[in-house]
This record gives sequence, structure tokens and C-alpha cells, in this order.
Amino acid sequence: MDFPSSLRPMLFMTGPLGLSDVPDMSFMCSWRDALTLPESLPQTSKNGTPHLAKGLLWEPDTPGPLPLLPPGPDPWDPGLTAQDLLCRGGPKFRRQPKAVLDVTEQFSRFLWDHGDIAFAPLGKLMLENFKLEGARSYSKKKTVVSVQRILQDLGGHQPWGCPWACFSHRQRRFSILGDPILGKSVSNLLGELLHEELVMRWEQLLLDDAFTGGALAWLPGRTPRVRQLVYPAGGALDRLRPDFQEVRLTPGGDPRILGKPGHIQLRGPVRQVVTCTVQGESLLAVRSDYYCALWKVSKQGQPSPLQVLQVEKGATGVNLSPHLPGELVVCSRSGAVCLWTPQDGLQQIYKDPETLVFRDPSPWRWADFTAHPRVLTVGDRTGVKIIDTQGPPGCGLLLFRAGAEASCQKGERVLLTQYLGECGPDSLQPTLHLICTQFSLYLVDERLPLVPMLKWDHGLPSAPLLAQLLPPPRPGCPRPLLLGGHGGQLQLLHIAGEGASMPRLAGPPQSLPSRSDSLSAFPLLEPKSQQQLQERLQAPTIGLVAALPPSASTPVLSLFQLSAAGDVFHQRLHLREDSQSPGDPRPNFHAPTASWSPRATTCCRRWLKALLEVPPAPPVWAAPTFSHRHLLGLKEQRKVEGKVPEGLRAAMAEGRLLQQRDLGSLPTAEPPPAPEPGPKDELSERLEEAWEGPAAAWWERQQGKGSRPGKQPKRHKRRMQLSSTFSSLSGRLDLSDATSPPHSPDRTSPVSRPQLPETLPSQELTQDLWARGIPSERQQTLRDYMAKLPLQGDTPEGVSIPLSQTSSIQATPSRQQTLQDCTAELPRQRYTLRGATVPPSQTSSIQTTPCRQQAPRDCAAKRSLQRDTLGGAAMLSSQTSSLRTTRSGRQTPVVSGSQPRRKKPRMGF
Amino acid sequence: MSDFSEDLLRPRTEDDPEEMRVGSGSGMHFPWLQRLVESVATGGRKQKEFAQTTSACLSFIQEALLKHQWQRAAEYMHSYFQILEDSDSNKRQAAPEIIWKLGSEILYYHPKSSVETFSAFADRMKNIGVMNYLKISLQHALYLVHHGLLDDASRNLSQAETWRYGDKSASQEVLINLVQAYKGLLRYYTWSEKKVELSRLDQDDYAYSAASQSMLDHSWKTSTDFHSLIQVPGVWDPFVKSYVEMLEFYGDREGAREVLTNYAYDEKFPSNPNAHVYLYGFLKRGKAPREQLISVLKILYQIVPSHILMLEFHRLLRKSEREEHRKLGLEVLFGVLDFAGCTKNRTAWQYLAKCLRQTLTGNHLAWVLEQWTPRKSWWPGFHFSSFRARGDWTEDRALAHEKAFVAGTLLGRGCRYFRYISKQDHQALRKKMKRIKKLVKKYSIVNSGL
Repeated sequence: MDFPSSLRPMLFMTGPLGLSDVPDMSFMCSWRDALTLPESLPQTSKNGTPHLAKGLLWEPDTPGPLPLLPPGPDPWDPGLTAQDLLCRGGPKFRRQPKAVLDVTEQFSRFLWDHGDIAFAPLGKLMLENFKLEGARSYSKKKTVVSVQRILQDLGGHQPWGCPWACFSHRQRRFSILGDPILGKSVSNLLGELLHEELVMRWEQLLLDDAFTGGALAWLPGRTPRVRQLVYPAGGALDRLRPDFQEVRLTPGGDPRILGKPGHIQLRGPVRQVVTCTVQGESLLAVRSDYYCALWKVSKQGQPSPLQVLQVEKGATGVNLSPHLPGELVVCSRSGAVCLWTPQDGLQQIYKDPETLVFRDPSPWRWADFTAHPRVLTVGDRTGVKIIDTQGPPGCGLLLFRAGAEASCQKGERVLLTQYLGECGPDSLQPTLHLICTQFSLYLVDERLPLVPMLKWDHGLPSAPLLAQLLPPPRPGCPRPLLLGGHGGQLQLLHIAGEGASMPRLAGPPQSLPSRSDSLSAFPLLEPKSQQQLQERLQAPTIGLVAALPPSASTPVLSLFQLSAAGDVFHQRLHLREDSQSPGDPRPNFHAPTASWSPRATTCCRRWLKALLEVPPAPPVWAAPTFSHRHLLGLKEQRKVEGKVPEGLRAAMAEGRLLQQRDLGSLPTAEPPPAPEPGPKDELSERLEEAWEGPAAAWWERQQGKGSRPGKQPKRHKRRMQLSSTFSSLSGRLDLSDATSPPHSPDRTSPVSRPQLPETLPSQELTQDLWARGIPSERQQTLRDYMAKLPLQGDTPEGVSIPLSQTSSIQATPSRQQTLQDCTAELPRQRYTLRGATVPPSQTSSIQTTPCRQQAPRDCAAKRSLQRDTLGGAAMLSSQTSSLRTTRSGRQTPVVSGSQPRRKKPRMGF
Repeated sequence: MSDFSEDLLRPRTEDDPEEMRVGSGSGMHFPWLQRLVESVATGGRKQKEFAQTTSACLSFIQEALLKHQWQRAAEYMHSYFQILEDSDSNKRQAAPEIIWKLGSEILYYHPKSSVETFSAFADRMKNIGVMNYLKISLQHALYLVHHGLLDDASRNLSQAETWRYGDKSASQEVLINLVQAYKGLLRYYTWSEKKVELSRLDQDDYAYSAASQSMLDHSWKTSTDFHSLIQVPGVWDPFVKSYVEMLEFYGDREGAREVLTNYAYDEKFPSNPNAHVYLYGFLKRGKAPREQLISVLKILYQIVPSHILMLEFHRLLRKSEREEHRKLGLEVLFGVLDFAGCTKNRTAWQYLAKCLRQTLTGNHLAWVLEQWTPRKSWWPGFHFSSFRARGDWTEDRALAHEKAFVAGTLLGRGCRYFRYISKQDHQALRKKMKRIKKLVKKYSIVNSGL
């Protein structure tokens, strides 16, 4: 095998992770890898062809994945969330929010829900202090309490401290007597256990490693085109069966479902599904919590069971050998790793309850194969070791160390390791291993242990537990590497490096749409169903598999993902390659964004219908009900008239929810009063002043306010310089191409603007933006208004843009909003941005609020306007010195868009 | 009163934070912890608006980058510069690095960006936050090299080389060394260009001596550039390679040998196979004795038994007179063929067939058994299955024949691979097969074992 003849320069440091004095040589820029040093320079510099396809991009056909199969008949519950476990309200006076388990709340809930468990043993102990018979006989002992009376007193009380509840003397006595026993013993005994359980649940919530590796896999089917998806289905994944779903991949990458899925009923939840075809023999291995099983799949796609293995301490990983048919490696929580063949049984190759590099409490272990069929990798949270199964037990080389060698961060742990080997004509080295931590992704060559060949900071907001390396979409192309986070985020990297070159990133990584991006394809529902749908779409991803169907023209990537709710979603992407020759100006380098096709929305609608027909999961917890009968009796005594009390009582007697019709028609509420302008409404203040004349004086005052003395100037000068780098960039751009959405055929593209000298890039920007945000009917007013202002001399010509143009632009809410300098207004901005990602097909809903959409753009326009028109240094400083002054910058002439809507009537436009 | 009740309602976290705080029990850091906590904590002190906007802006930039929307990212970047004015000094100090990473990424990929834009950005970033000067200079230089602007890159590195800030820290030292080494590499490039020119010139030409003089200058300067970095543990392949080439060119073989030996055998360095490959290449060029070559490759064999040089190693061992070397030669071949990437290496199989014949002729059955016994359990399934036989026969007949001989020798004539190949009736190859059958009958260790 070829070894890269020259490796990238790398510093090698030994030591613990998070070593601060080590300069991190992997600079984390994706382009760094493009800069492999030329072997001999003359060739590369003269030929000048960048060997890197810069614009390698997989474009999704739809904005999000689509459901492939109808939802299963069983309800699904998202289970525990952070809200259930953590203290609400949050501790005050902390700089950083910290997770604090809400043991008190959980404990009181437990006592309420399982009072019998909590108190029954104590009750038995205290039996002599209670009198269970109902007879009213007075005991001599003051310490004996009649149970019947207490229950009577308790009946009807609210569970949570009703401020008006009164205690009877019996209750008082009971609580005084019972408190030392009931209060302390129960909490002491149970509290600790409960806390332990909560910590465990919380850790599971932070990192659920059960599904490491993924539970979705491909199996070859009858013909090369037809393949089978294997995945667990059913309910809350507790009665699971691997479903054998035949899928035909058409050349276009459209999956077609064939026939009804077959299934095998298993006894435990399936955590991992692995398939492998070695020497024409397809095998399927399945891991559940305490069992691993192996099937052989016939040429017709029929699975036949080979063997089942029980793992006493719990299995954490299983992998099939890519070299020898029927060989597996199984890891157990006890720290043992075994090689397993159906013929020869188990062979323990490694056992160590301790972790490899440093002490870590996690019992998670993982093992995979290497390029040598008798050498395995064994991994835990702290590192990965290469073990020779034929050598003496326990010895081996560390392949990866969570430490300074790979410049790991503090708290970094291994989450997934995968052998990427595969021998082929144009494949990567068959000795590469993928190692994922919560921060980064590493490619390590087993021939050069400890030194990662590639490191990339993936920045996924959830644990990357799924990964798949795909074959190159076409010969000579880099290979796509899919990375899936538990939370559903997907990232795609292009890995190049065939033959004797180092593996490197070819082009920048890319994120793929997640299931929650599909929400916009569904019709809007009532809140409860909407939430159900949302929860369903946000269910953790537990399986990821992709295929590149052989196709004629552009390569297509078919991506399947399995959610914890048992849904399989499918997404199709196709490859777009941009040749980066500078002489080839691409008018629309912003690709047409995907939109929902009618077929896709119909598919979603149908799926949703089936989903809503699924009965909701029985609630995990329901508040205990209390007798309200005697309260009813109390009410009965006092005769109250009126429809409302009547309705109340009726509802109470029937024990149902009080509805509006029970109370009759309510008095019609007055429409809410129009919001009054705030006391410091600078805009109207200014408008008023301007109306009166002394606008200039007002302006002076504002400026005085804005340019406060401070130690800022130096720093913001830098900022200005930096900004100019980027604004020069954006200034030279043809903004109509760069920032507006793709023009659908029915819309006219923006009309050419008046030509401006190129020396004023930001003014061009100004004009463009200037015209966009202002409704056409207000432009005349605005022009008049502008004429009155002290800035009039330099008012750009842009205002006189033909009205027809602006109206056409207005109907096209720009997807890529210019947000320059408007980040201060967060609440509204957030709204804008959410709107900004809505695909063009949805724009109709946005059209109603065009001015909101345009707001930030206007703001930017104003700002650059100021810069250009006044040009004074004081002006600049007031704009950029601080947040507050940025706001004051909003009092510039253009007012229509940037103000809240309620102000509009007062402006008199 | 209200204060008092609030006190009661508040969870008792201020008093016993160690016990109640979770999420850091195992020492693992969860980047998503913050988000989870924030989804719950509604009452606590909120982030300041400024921090909210900057972090929102950062996530928009990252999102845009991951969607390859360079223009959008550039626009957000424009707003993100406000973080340089953050009142939180920690954030303010971390900001330049983030800005550099994101900004350089945007400018690298942006279709309308140019070398000038990038350089302007890099020059400004270098001077914001002194700590990043060297790193940014280095990356800037790499960018320039990539765009073919070697002189600019070299100038940049020279500037960075002389830069100092405060006390010289260890990390600064390493970075300066690295800057120097890259500068040396650029010098090497011009040097090798000159070398090519020189080779075209006539030795008696006047220009020749001038050119060789300037080359000499270059090499002298360059050697100082490389020297300090390659003492630091790391992977320095391109530097070592060019350094050695220059040293060799000027006849400093001792110096070159020292550099290479140090690079290969210093224990502080990672076990880099290339270090041994370079040393081997150097010795081979210098016509070193076979023993020396074997000892270098022996170490490489221990590190990477699948290396492409192993076949050369086998040839060396085969030629050796010593018995242990011949034994090792057999071992090396078995070792190479263990690897999944080498199963279809025809030369290796050819060598193995030949080596088996020689070894068995030399009455060294024990050597063969020593290698074969641990592989007996898995080689048949790995190499000699009928699936492999079918594949090999259709893809590479010569390979199939070599393998058939090895399979027949090691497993006997009854093995699947041998049976399958021998059954294939092919007019042209019939004679060859007959010969193989005869050889198998002669050498098979299964027969002799009986």
C-alpha cells in the first residue's frame, strides 16, 4: 500500500488535553487543507489549475427531507426533556447559567404519585399510633390518631398549597407527630436514590450513546437496483423488529417502496444495525441492550438467523468484519471486547474495566476492524488503541489519544470511531479511521498512530454518533463523508486524497437540511397537533444511511434518516460543481433554492393525516384527582343566582372542563386600546421638531448625545477598517444577483439602476436598498420630506427610481437580508431572520408584512446614506461607537420601514 | 415578606453548588449543555442584549458558511465586527481569532474576493490582538503560495520572522520556527528552479558559475531556516526532504545523514514511516552496504508491514547470504499479504510462491509452518475462498495462478481455490496449469506433513 510520500507539517506534543501553551497547528479553516504544499513548485504554479473543486455542493431538491413511509401505528412520546429535570427559574446571580437538577420538585412529585411506596412501610411502623376503625371512640393516648377523620379532613384539599386552606386541629396534631418520621426518614432514604436516578437520566439526556453507530442500514436485494432498508420500527422502540423494507432506487435517486415490509420480532429495543457484504455474502448484525444477533441474508434478500449472543453487562457496540464473512466484534460495558464468529464462538481479545488514557467513568466501549483482519481497534471515551488479536493480550499501540497529540480541548471525549477502509481503484487509503468527538472530527491513519491526518471542527450542536463514508459520486471526485448529530443535524464533508496523497478536505463542508426543516411543508395546525408534529420532527436521529444510485448525468445522493420515533425520512440531493475559472462569470452563483413541490406537500399532508390518527401516548404522569364532592355540598347550601355560578356548579358536578358556553355569552370585550407611544419616542419627537423648523438644532443635540467621550475610538477604527474589507467586497458585488432570491420566471428581475461611478460602492448599495423598502405611494412624500432636511444637497438620485420597479421588488421579500448594523434589535430581527429562510413558495404569507421584512435593509441603507452624505468624522463615530448610538442612527430620514408598524398612522404619509 | 418567600422558593443551589450541579461529573464537556440550560432557565440573569446579538450573528455566519452562502456570510460578518467592542474582556480577546477564522474562510471562497481583499483583511487582522500575529502571517503566506505569489509570501514570512511580543513563550518560539521553516521552503523552491536551470546550462558557460553561486547563497540561508524547527518533535516531511536534498547537493552527506537519523530515531518524534523511508532513500543513493539498508527497513517493517518498500526489503533479504535474513524474507511476504489493501498484489504473490519453493527446497519446512500456523485459521477464508478464486480468475489470471500454487502448497490440492483454478480449462494456459500442479504435488506441506 502507498503511504503518503510527504505529510503535512505538524507539531507533535505529548501531554494531557487542553494544554494551553501548545499552538494549535490545525487552524480549523477548511481551506487550510487546500493548501497542501506543492511537491515541486514549478508545475503547480505554472499550470495554475487549482486542483480543488471549490464549488462542490450537494443541493437538496426539497428544503427538507420527506417522510418515506407512513408513521407507525404506535404513539411516540419524546420522553424526558431538560425542562423536566432542571430547576426552573434558574439560579440568580450567576454569570453562567448552570444545570441544576430539580430534585425537590421530582421528589415531591414522587411522593404524590407513589405515596404508597414512599409511606407504606412507615405507616406499618407507626401502626400503633393510628386507629383504623371508624368508630368514634376516644382513646386515652393522645398519640393515637383516628385515620377516618383525618381522611375526611384531607378530602377535597388542593394538592399544592392553597393559600386559603385551613387546617383542622387533627391535621395539625398529625403533622406535628408525623413530621419527624415522615419528613426526614422518607427524604433521607429516598432522596439519595432519586438523586442518583436523576443524575443518570440527566447524563443520558446530555449524551445518549445507546444509538452510537446508527440503527439504519442497507442490505443488497434481489437485483442491484433494489435494496433493502433495515431498521427498527414500532412504538417507543421497545418492542422492536428490524423491518425489511425493499426500496428501489431509480437512477434519479427517487426511492420507490416495493411491497409490504417484512419483519422479525425481537424481544428488546434495537440500538444498532450493521450490515456488511463480504465476498458476496451479506450479513446483518443487530445490537440491543443485552443481546447481539447475527443474520445471514440470502441472495433473494431473505434473512436467516445465525446466532444470538447474550451480553450480561450490556453491549455497547457491534461491528462486522469487512474482510472475513461472519466475523464480528462485540464490546461490553464491563470493558471486554470479543471477537465472535458463529462457528468458533467468542474469543476475548481485550479486557480492561479502566479507560485507556486517563480515568473516565463512562463504561462505553467500541471496537472496529482495521486493514489487517487480525488487528482491531478498541476505543473508549479517552482514546483508541490498536490490538493485535494474535499477540499477547492487552498490549497494543494507541491510535488516538485524547490529549495534546491531537490538540484536543479540555473535556473532549471520543464519541465514535469508525474504520473507513475500503479497497478500490480510486478510494482513500484503506488504513484510515474516523474519530469523532463532540468538537472535532479526526482522520487517523493506523500506520501513523497518534498524529491525526486531518482535523476538522465540525461544530455540531449535538453528539455526532452517526457517520458514513460514501464512494465518490463520479471517478476523480472527492468522497462524501456524512456526519449525523443525535439532534438531527447533518454535515457533509468532501474527503480527497487518493493514492499516495494525504487525506484532505476538498472544499468547505456543508450542512444538509434536517428533519425539522420540513416543518414548513406541513399545513399549519392547531397548537396541540402542531406541537405533536414538531416534537415528532425533532425526535433524535438514530440512523443515517445514504446511497449514490448509478445515474447518467448529475450524481444524485439519496439520504435516508431514521428518527427515534421510528420515522424514516428521505432526502434527495444532487451535485453541483462550479468550475472556478475566473474568466467565467456566473450570473447566478446563488443556486436556485429548493422549494416544496406540490407532490412533496401532498406527501407530507398524507403522512400528517396518518400521524394525527395515531392515538396519543398515555400520559406518563397525571395529576392526582381529589374529591370535590363536599365542596359541591357547601356550594349547594348557599343559594346563588346567576348563570355563571350555575354553569360552574354544573361543570363541577359532572367533573368536566369548564367551557365558555357554560358561562353564557361574555360581555363583549372592548378592543384593546391602541398602544401609546413611549415617553421617549425620539422619532415622533424629531418629526414634530422637524415640522416646526429647527430640525438642525435637534440634529445638533442628537449628535452631542451620540458622540460621547470614551476610550472606544481606537478600537472602532479597527472595526471600520475591517468593515471596509467586507464592504468593499459587497460593494463591488452586483447586489441584485447576490442578495436577491432566485428569480422565478414570473417575476421580473430588477431593472438596471442608474450607472454610478465605481468609486462610490456604498452609495450604490444605498440606492439599491433605499428604493426597496419604501412603498411606492410614499415615495413622493418622502422625497418632499427629504428636500426639507439639511442633508438635501447630497441626497442620492436613487429615490427617483421608477415606481413600477419598486413595487415589483416589494413583492419579492429578499431572502438574504442585509443585516448590517441592525443586530441590536434582536426580537424583531429574529423574526426577520426566520422569515428570511422561508423558501420563495411561501412568500405569499410574508407579503403582508413587507416593511418588517425590509427593516434591517432600510436601516443599513440609512446608515450608509449618512456616511455618504454627511461624511463627517463625528458622524462616523456616532454611528459605530456603541450600540446605543447605532440606535440613534435610526433617526435618519428614511422612516417607513424601520419603525414598528403602529407608528405609521401618526406619520401622516 | 415577598423577599422572604422568594428565598424559600429559590432552590438551594447557592449553598451547595458542588453537590447539585451536574453535567460536569465525568469531566466531559458538552457544547450543547448551554442550550439545554438556557431552555429552562428563565429567571436567572439574562445575557446582555449585546451578547445576544453577537452570538446570534455568529451562528448566522456559521450557518451561512455551512450552506456556502458566502455573500450572506460576508454581510453578517460586517455586523459581527462589533464584538471587538464587547465589554467582556474575555470575549473581546477571543474575538480576533474567531473573526480571522470566519473572515478568512469567507474571503477564501467568496467568488468576488481577490488576493488583494484577502491580504488587506489579513494585514488588518494581524494587528488586532497581538497573539495572532504569527499564526495569521503564516496562513496568509500559505494563501499567497497557493495563489502562486511566492515573493509576496516570502516577504510576509520575513516580516513575521522578526516579530516579537513580550517574553518569548514556548508557543511563540515554535511558531517563529515554523515561519522560518516555511520561508526556507520557499527559498528551496527558488533554489530547485535554479537547479533545473543550471542543469540546462553548460558547465563551462560563464552563466553557470554565477548561477551556482546564487544557489550556494540560497542553500546557506535555507539551512539555518530549517535547522531549528526540525529539532522540535513533529512531522516535518517537506522541510526535512528539501533540507536533505540541499545538503546532499553540496556534498554535506554527514550533515544530511545526521538530520535524517535524528528525524527517524529520536524517540520524542512520532513514529513517522516517512522518516525511515527518507533515510533508506538517502542510504540507497549513497550506495550503502546491504546490511545497513536491511537494518533501516527492518524498523520500517516493524512500523508499517504493509509498506510498498517491503517488497524491496524482501528482495534485499533474498539476496542476503544469512539464513535469518531469508527467514525474515518469508515473514515479510506473509506480513504484506495479511493486509486487505495488498490482497491483489501480483508481485507479492509471485514472490511468495518463489520464496516458498526456495524455502521448501532448502528444507526449511519449520519456517513455513511458523508463518502458516497462525494464519491457517483465517487465510483460507480471506485469500483462498471460492469467491476470491472466481474474482481473481476473471480479473487477473497470472495472479490466480500464483495464488493457486501458494494455496495448493499450503492447504493441499483439495482446497477450494486450487480446485477452482485447476478446473478452469483454458487452451493457452493448460501447460502452465500442468506445471503448477506438478509443483504443488512436489512442495505441498500438507502431503509432507502426513
